[in-house]
Amino acid sequence: MAEAELKAPSKGALIVSALVGVALMVGGMYVSKNVKLSFVETLEHQGILLDPGKTLAIIGVFLILFKVLDNFYYAPLRDAINERNNSLEATFTEAAALRSEMDGLKSEYEGRISATEASARAEIQAEINKAQELRRTLESEARAKADEMTRRATDEIAAEKARALGDIRLHVANLTLQATEKLLSENMDNERNRRLIDEFLDKVEVPTA
Amino acid sequence: MLYTGLVVAIVFATLSVAMGNVRSAQKSGTPVFRKLFGGLFEQVYLFVHQMCTGTIGPHGRKYVPMILTVWLIIFVSNAVALFMPTSPTADLSFTLAMALMCVGYVQWEGIRAHGLIGHLKHFAGPKLPPAMFIVTMMIFVIEMISEVMKNVSLSLRLFGNIEGGHLAVTSMNQLGEAFYVPAGALILMPIKLMTVIVQAMIFTMLTCVYLALVTGNEDEH
Amino acid sequence: MTGQGLGIGIGLAALGVGIGLGLIGFSALQGMARQPEAISKLQVVMLIALAFVELVFLLTVFIVPGTMGAFR
Repeated sequence: MAEAELKAPSKGALIVSALVGVALMVGGMYVSKNVKLSFVETLEHQGILLDPGKTLAIIGVFLILFKVLDNFYYAPLRDAINERNNSLEATFTEAAALRSEMDGLKSEYEGRISATEASARAEIQAEINKAQELRRTLESEARAKADEMTRRATDEIAAEKARALGDIRLHVANLTLQATEKLLSENMDNERNRRLIDEFLDKVEVPTA
Repeated sequence: MLYTGLVVAIVFATLSVAMGNVRSAQKSGTPVFRKLFGGLFEQVYLFVHQMCTGTIGPHGRKYVPMILTVWLIIFVSNAVALFMPTSPTADLSFTLAMALMCVGYVQWEGIRAHGLIGHLKHFAGPKLPPAMFIVTMMIFVIEMISEVMKNVSLSLRLFGNIEGGHLAVTSMNQLGEAFYVPAGALILMPIKLMTVIVQAMIFTMLTCVYLALVTGNEDEH
Repeated sequence: MTGQGLGIGIGLAALGVGIGLGLIGFSALQGMARQPEAISKLQVVMLIALAFVELVFLLTVFIVPGTMGAFR
């Protein structure tokens, strides 16, 4: 600190001020005892007590006091205060350095945390995408299988129906022919009749589906 | 003179105890200025230091010892005036001595800062054209008178406040005399307490202001 | 007769100084309320101004009896 330039007074100044101070004190006492000034009497007449000798003596006392106090008391105490301030300042700078170091560590740590978070997020995203892909393929497979099954079932149904219709048609033709044979007592079963029946059936048949 | 000796003894004793505190703290390794008197002195020192640097500027540091001495003496004297029938600051000779010393020191510092001619020029006010020489002379005379009046005002203010406090206490004590109650001493104690601090501060602060006026001009010119 | 004049004179001085002190306190308080961050500076200046006003009263107190005595 710049205050270090404030030094205690030298021994010479101390001795000189002490001598002057003592001389002033003695002189002041002498003046106080022996010298009567007219303006002091006027002032006393006005109710103001003033003793120039005492004033002189006290100036002497102060001259000594300044130097003595400064030399023997203020200087050491000032040094102690400065030392305290310096140590405090050192502590503060140390604390500031520690804090900046801690800040660096903290920012590094935060960066690492954010990096980890980003990678974790990317991984999660990738997993989600994979799962969605899987779901989509599974779905399409299942749908294809179901479609296949439906189609097969429909085909079977259609084949069954066609067979059943053929059966019924044959049956009906036979029945008709038998009934007509019974009715006419002769064999009607020839190619022409069968065709006729078929044509008739085609006419009556309700179109299915 | 007896009370002056008492005040000086109190100042010396307080400072000795403070330094003893600091020394013992330094020796034992405990934090300095933890003890009562050491901490007290530190606070006073920092207060005066702040007053000097705040009023005079950065170079006000070198006036700290002088201002601190004056502050301590005035403060202790005023504190003595709280409890004793008289005190050094209730004596015009004492306050006049202090005022003379402070104003004289201000002159000395002004001469040291600007030289004798520069310091005298400082009294002559702003630079005016030669035709206004008579005005400059008048300003010079008025400034000289105000310089002398600084002594009177500094000393009379301190003396009047402390002595006036004493007189007020005596005359108010006469009010309570019939009931054997020291009315003035009780009622006026808070006001006197404030006076103790404020007067010590004003005396030193005004000295600082005078010092600043005399020494601080080199930045402006 | 002189005693009464003295009392009246000192009373008048006290009146004026009281007004002056009040004005200083008033404006200082106002400034402090408007700018609380300037309180420390304002306090110091206020105390100095108070000291100067107070000085007028002290001068009156110490000079009036003297002049009274001189003119008697």
